[in-house]
Amino acid sequence: MSLSTLALPLSLLTDPALKLAESETPEVAEAAAEMGELTSGTNLINELLMLAPIPDFVPGWAIPLTAIMIGVAIVMGVVSLNAMAGTWLERKVSGHIQCRYGPMRAGWHGFLQPLADGIKLMLKEDMIPIGSDRVLFVMAPALVLASVLGALAVMPLSPDFFFADAPMGLFLILALTSTTTIGVIMAGWASNSKWSVYGAMREAAQVVAYEVPLGISLLVPLIVAGTFSLTEVSEMQSGMFGIGGWLIFKNPFMFPALILFFIAVLAESKRAPFDLPESESELVSGFLTEYSGIRWSFFFMEEYAAMFLYCVVTAFFFLGGFNSPLTWLFEDGGLLPNVILWNVAAFFTIVVKGYIGLFVMMWVRWTLPRLRIDQVMTMGYKYLTPISLVCVLGAGIWEWGKAALLG
Amino acid sequence: MVTVSKYFENVWKSMYSTCVGMRITWRYLLQKPITVQYPDERMPIPNRYRGIHYLEQEKCINCLACARACPIDCIEMDAVRHGKELEWISFTLDYQKCMFCELCVYPCPKDCIHMGTEFAFVSEDRSEFVHDLLSYKGMSRDARTRMIEADKKKAEKAAAKAAKAAEKAAEDAKGGDAN
Repeated sequence: MSLSTLALPLSLLTDPALKLAESETPEVAEAAAEMGELTSGTNLINELLMLAPIPDFVPGWAIPLTAIMIGVAIVMGVVSLNAMAGTWLERKVSGHIQCRYGPMRAGWHGFLQPLADGIKLMLKEDMIPIGSDRVLFVMAPALVLASVLGALAVMPLSPDFFFADAPMGLFLILALTSTTTIGVIMAGWASNSKWSVYGAMREAAQVVAYEVPLGISLLVPLIVAGTFSLTEVSEMQSGMFGIGGWLIFKNPFMFPALILFFIAVLAESKRAPFDLPESESELVSGFLTEYSGIRWSFFFMEEYAAMFLYCVVTAFFFLGGFNSPLTWLFEDGGLLPNVILWNVAAFFTIVVKGYIGLFVMMWVRWTLPRLRIDQVMTMGYKYLTPISLVCVLGAGIWEWGKAALLG
Repeated sequence: MVTVSKYFENVWKSMYSTCVGMRITWRYLLQKPITVQYPDERMPIPNRYRGIHYLEQEKCINCLACARACPIDCIEMDAVRHGKELEWISFTLDYQKCMFCELCVYPCPKDCIHMGTEFAFVSEDRSEFVHDLLSYKGMSRDARTRMIEADKKKAEKAAAKAAKAAEKAAEDAKGGDAN
């Protein structure tokens, strides 16, 4: 895989058609042509804007720019709404697991509680501690949020509605979400607090340890599916009742890979039992110690967005993507073929799958106690990495054998 | 070989124990929460709960037994006596001091001061914690009528007595005349 093919998906985020013309070498041109084919449906917003009556004085570049802005606004909205829903769900699930109700006073069963919390966080004093590195301190939350926003741009909301259908979508997601670590380390260092530095160092150690099994266990569905693109992998998984084609049923090594991936995701998104970087009781919230108000909530939004994103990736590469009995009903050749309903159903399917993943994360959080740092390292290096390697090997042999036997 | 089997045992044990734990938390998740939504619903309060006092003012005779029994002197009362009837001025309990020991309840000869089940007592000002237990000030209508009747009777009695005395005097005078 040459560097130019890796660089292309990033440029495709802005406008595929623009970049395709500029490609020079035949290799890149070929790849670009392939991508152009894949991204032909890109940016539904752009196409819709083209249909609108546009006065003459509007320059040509304004339309794709507007489309990008609308896309960014939608992604931002998704991130903040997801953070709200996530905090509400987290509090409700934790409450009910402890035989409490959780928030009950604001709105129906405390549904408006995140709104109240958000207003409170915005009105809070924005503290920057004395002796901190101001520039890094201010930059860290923005960097953390920006990386996850970039990763979310690749996430398709429905088969026909996406902002950037990068052929290397999964690669981009993995690359961008792991840059949040830099933001966390920046936050920890800039805070001028020993607790924050401890938290940041733990985060660094943890991410280095768990990025490996995360990537390797994702190789298993990649071997089975043979594509990095999220829309393509979900197209591939349509089958009987929308369940029959799921990748998890296609290879016996998919299930262990799913568990390994999920554990690695827990560690990557700093969730219990791997929440050592921000452990409240021992490190006074780790790298978040000195943050308050809206900056703190940026970290929170990032955490929930990353969790949701990882759950969606899990859904795409293990659990059928957009395919569910509901989409099976509305898809082409189904019982009630209807494109719009199909897209709506696909959107709901992916959201529900993502939130089921979030729920399982919360369930695990309130079940298991926090691990010690050496236990976390042991688990990452001695258990997850070798087992995921074995899974990749097994899946490869299985696929090879299947191809050899069945032709 | 031991270390290898130990390795797989560790993997198995961690998976198994996680599943057991998650089963337990799942059971708790489905269980009905035991929280009592306080302002909307309340826990049942036992009858002998020692809460805010209440006074059966009609029975009270202003004997100060409760005030004397109070170990921290938080009860104060004031009333004017009209014969048998009382004109109430105040009967205050200072809840900044009161420790809800119930010692004021036992010495009462008329069994008129009690501790209730009400426990929520919120105020924005300290002075409001000096709580007046009286349900009315001055005299009740019954007491007033009773007093007026008693006064009337007294007056009648006095009048009768005076009349009698006058009769007697008159008789005496008559007798004296006859003599």
